[in-house]
Amino acid sequence: MISAGGLKRKSKAASEIPSSSLADMAFLLLIFFMVTTTFRKEQSRNWEPPEAQATKKLDAKRRDILHVYVEQNGNIYINDLLVPPEQVSAVVAPIYEESDRRLVVSLRADRDVPYVHIDGVQKELQEAGAVRVAFYTNLEQRVARAVR
Amino acid sequence: MAFMRKKNRVSGEIPTSAMADIAFLLLIFFLVTTVFDEEKGLQVVLPEAQSEVEVSQRNVLHLTVRPDGIVEVKRGESPQIQPVQANQIEAIWRSEVANNPNLIAAVKTHPDAAHRHMIAVLDQLQLANADRISLQMVE
Repeated sequence: MISAGGLKRKSKAASEIPSSSLADMAFLLLIFFMVTTTFRKEQSRNWEPPEAQATKKLDAKRRDILHVYVEQNGNIYINDLLVPPEQVSAVVAPIYEESDRRLVVSLRADRDVPYVHIDGVQKELQEAGAVRVAFYTNLEQRVARAVR
Repeated sequence: MAFMRKKNRVSGEIPTSAMADIAFLLLIFFLVTTVFDEEKGLQVVLPEAQSEVEVSQRNVLHLTVRPDGIVEVKRGESPQIQPVQANQIEAIWRSEVANNPNLIAAVKTHPDAAHRHMIAVLDQLQLANADRISLQMVE
């Protein structure tokens, strides 16, 4: 009798996962990801970065990375804003200060951009004190290297 | 009458059991399609402005990048110029730095040379673990 009573009590608890709250959970997750995802607004550009075997992931935080894009004709975009070449240092300096001197400039230039433009940007960055620069490159596969 | 009865059979509620499936499908769709652009590249540290340092010519390996991508190697004081392909520089640097641990790589690039030629040289130097690199432009 006692054992039968115990059985009866046990079976009262639902053994199934409540599927009605599953939807709530899923939506909660969905909304969480939608809210926390921040997209960096960036124009889609048709450019090909140079390739390098020594390409490394940057060890800086995402918010400490400044995107500087150099166009073929020497136009410079800082976070997608067109900046005259001689004002780059004036634009970068306050951003560098704000980042507690942790700023890393991700210098993005097509593989065919003449070096004169790259050099100009480098000099401006030096003037602004932002000395940590990363040339954006794609990882070159080492297969070609093994063949050599 | 028959028409009315048929209408009543259709459930007026939204099927809540399928909601989970829909939500998870959306979740999985976004998880799969989201691509984060990776922050990567070749890191260098530029010298501070107005910090010109005099370096003995003996400790400098001059690498001049020509517009056609050929690199002219000049060892310190010697006037000899050796044109090489960019992919040979790693070996050159390794053998040179073995002789002189204080060696500095001075990469001078022609203003018209494409960005990728300079990157090719920088890549080779970084592969050879060179950390004293100077980037300049040919005046």
